[in-house]
Amino acid sequence: MRRWVRPTLLRRLLLAQALVLALLWSLAVGLFLAEASGDNLYEAQSAHLAVIAVAQNLADQPARQYDTLRAFDLALREGYGDKNEPGLAPGILVRQAGRLVYKSDNVPAELRNTRLDSSETMVAQGRRWRFVTRQSAISDTRVTLVMPGGGWQLWLTFSSRGYYLLPLMISIPFLLLPAWISIRLALRPWRQVAGEIAARGPRDLTPLSFKPRHEELRPLVESINALMQRLRASTAREQSFIADAAHELRTPVAAMRINVEALQAQRGLDPRQGELLAGIVRGSDRAERLVGQLLQLMRSNAETSPPPVELLALDLLVQERLAALSGLAHARNVELELSAEAGVSISGERESLMSMLDNLIDNATKYSPIGGTVMVGLRRDAGHAILTVADRGRGIAPALRSRVFDRFFRAPDQTQTGSGLGLAIVRSVIEKHGGRIELGDHGDGGPGLLVTVRLPLATEK
Amino acid sequence: MKILLVEDDLDLGNGIRVALLDQGMEVIWVRRVDDAERALESGASDLVLLDLGLPDGDGMSLLARLRRRRRALPVLILSARDALGERLRGLDSGADDYLVKPFALAELLSRVRALARRSYGLEDEAIEVRGLSLHEPTRRVRVHGAPVELSRSEFELLSHLLKRADRVVTRRVLEEQVLPGGPGNDSNALDVHVSNLRRKIGEGYIRTVRGIGYVIDQAAPMDGR
Repeated sequence: MRRWVRPTLLRRLLLAQALVLALLWSLAVGLFLAEASGDNLYEAQSAHLAVIAVAQNLADQPARQYDTLRAFDLALREGYGDKNEPGLAPGILVRQAGRLVYKSDNVPAELRNTRLDSSETMVAQGRRWRFVTRQSAISDTRVTLVMPGGGWQLWLTFSSRGYYLLPLMISIPFLLLPAWISIRLALRPWRQVAGEIAARGPRDLTPLSFKPRHEELRPLVESINALMQRLRASTAREQSFIADAAHELRTPVAAMRINVEALQAQRGLDPRQGELLAGIVRGSDRAERLVGQLLQLMRSNAETSPPPVELLALDLLVQERLAALSGLAHARNVELELSAEAGVSISGERESLMSMLDNLIDNATKYSPIGGTVMVGLRRDAGHAILTVADRGRGIAPALRSRVFDRFFRAPDQTQTGSGLGLAIVRSVIEKHGGRIELGDHGDGGPGLLVTVRLPLATEK
Repeated sequence: MKILLVEDDLDLGNGIRVALLDQGMEVIWVRRVDDAERALESGASDLVLLDLGLPDGDGMSLLARLRRRRRALPVLILSARDALGERLRGLDSGADDYLVKPFALAELLSRVRALARRSYGLEDEAIEVRGLSLHEPTRRVRVHGAPVELSRSEFELLSHLLKRADRVVTRRVLEEQVLPGGPGNDSNALDVHVSNLRRKIGEGYIRTVRGIGYVIDQAAPMDGR
């Protein structure tokens, strides 16, 4: 229901058309009426003169005079009146030498003008009458032409000429239908632009592909493209700033770390000092990781000059990253295991895929229990590469599973250290490669998290 | 060992300097490219630690000039730029190694020593891990003093793993380096070599990381896994 109440351009155009039509129509009617009322029996003298002539010439034959006058009266009534409403018909009063010679049936006898040749009104028999009396130039014959009240006259004219105007009135709604159709058709380019913009993804800021031919649309499309361009530039500046800031952080963090580690390596430290120094190293470690992840995230978000897309052997890449990270896992007493199909090829960016793998493996390792195993699997399935990373840690509550991908989100009862950016990076990379990620439970109902990543396989050339 | 440290950051530079001094090395620390040039011309350094983001010039052009004059001097790049492209560029331009800031002191020391060994031909010395010793030039392998006879592939395999002790080497890399035909359809060939090697040198050295690769740990395994 709401939709019909909101204004639309279509209705606006339709309304404008209808108004113009109505205006023209009213103008036509007005002109018509004006013309018709000009043709006013009442004002013209012709009727008077005709009746005077009849009354005069037949003055010596009262019977014939009466019949003729009556015939005239009936003719008048038929010509200018409404057959169904005798009360609306004109009437005549004929007087000779002051004596009423003829009176129309519908007209009261007491109507008298106080002056000749002027229109006067009087109320008689509960109605208003207008009448004009003219006198013959050569005798004392007087003829009074009577019209019932003013308002009826218009209606009279209207209905007697009605068969001209009725078709006009009926045709208006039928004119609106083609108008609606034609306006809708004409607005099609407009809807195309709106459709293209609506279909845009949130990060797609490229210029519109629709090139309008019509004058009105061109400035609109140009301004939209200009706006997108400004947005792109502003986003690029922002990301470049964050990347620069993160980059700048690396040297001071490196300085902190080296100094503390040099201190740790010196002799003569008591255990408490050693503890404190270890705390500083851990802190700088976390800062380091955050900086690294910030840069990874900015890179995977960046639109400007994307790194080359290449054909990659995903099975070998996974093997490589697992090898690189197994040292850390081993130090935490967690085993890494891989079960991969050979020859799984995808096309993508090597560095961002490495970040994705590193973050997934690192998370699984962090949350695995001591002595546990992180199982990584890779297989092909109907045009996709399916990567699974399974750990037997605490898992992620189903309610939180969609939120963990948000930047800097940390679960409420989080005990592990981390920046909160890992999964944001993972999602960003997967999206860039046209894949999907799912967080789920293990098939056997045991504890832990099963991460499933689907990536489209490289198409054969 | 004399190390030329080219780093403009005060705290980082000083930290590295003190850490290296504590390890018994001599350190000349400069903060600008032209000072580095002068130090290179006058002194005899054994190794250069080179930061790329220097205030008065580009570390890479210093590296290029250095390579034209003294081809054998080991150079280790220290840089905040971690992109793969940057790393490759550094190595292609003549650096021997590339460390991304921030780095652990232990890592810096380990790589400095590795470079020094290489440049002094100290690769003449045998690599030793927990009683297992391998001498590359003579292809001699001993376990707790007792000599062991290895096939060509087994020797390559052991040598490769020992040189990268504590780092997992992927199956792929081992297949490329060790199998005569390179990686092929037979995924078992590598495993056969490994099990043969284990039989000859003992079970406690090579650790399997299933599906991924193999590693020789410097420290003994904790629970005899």
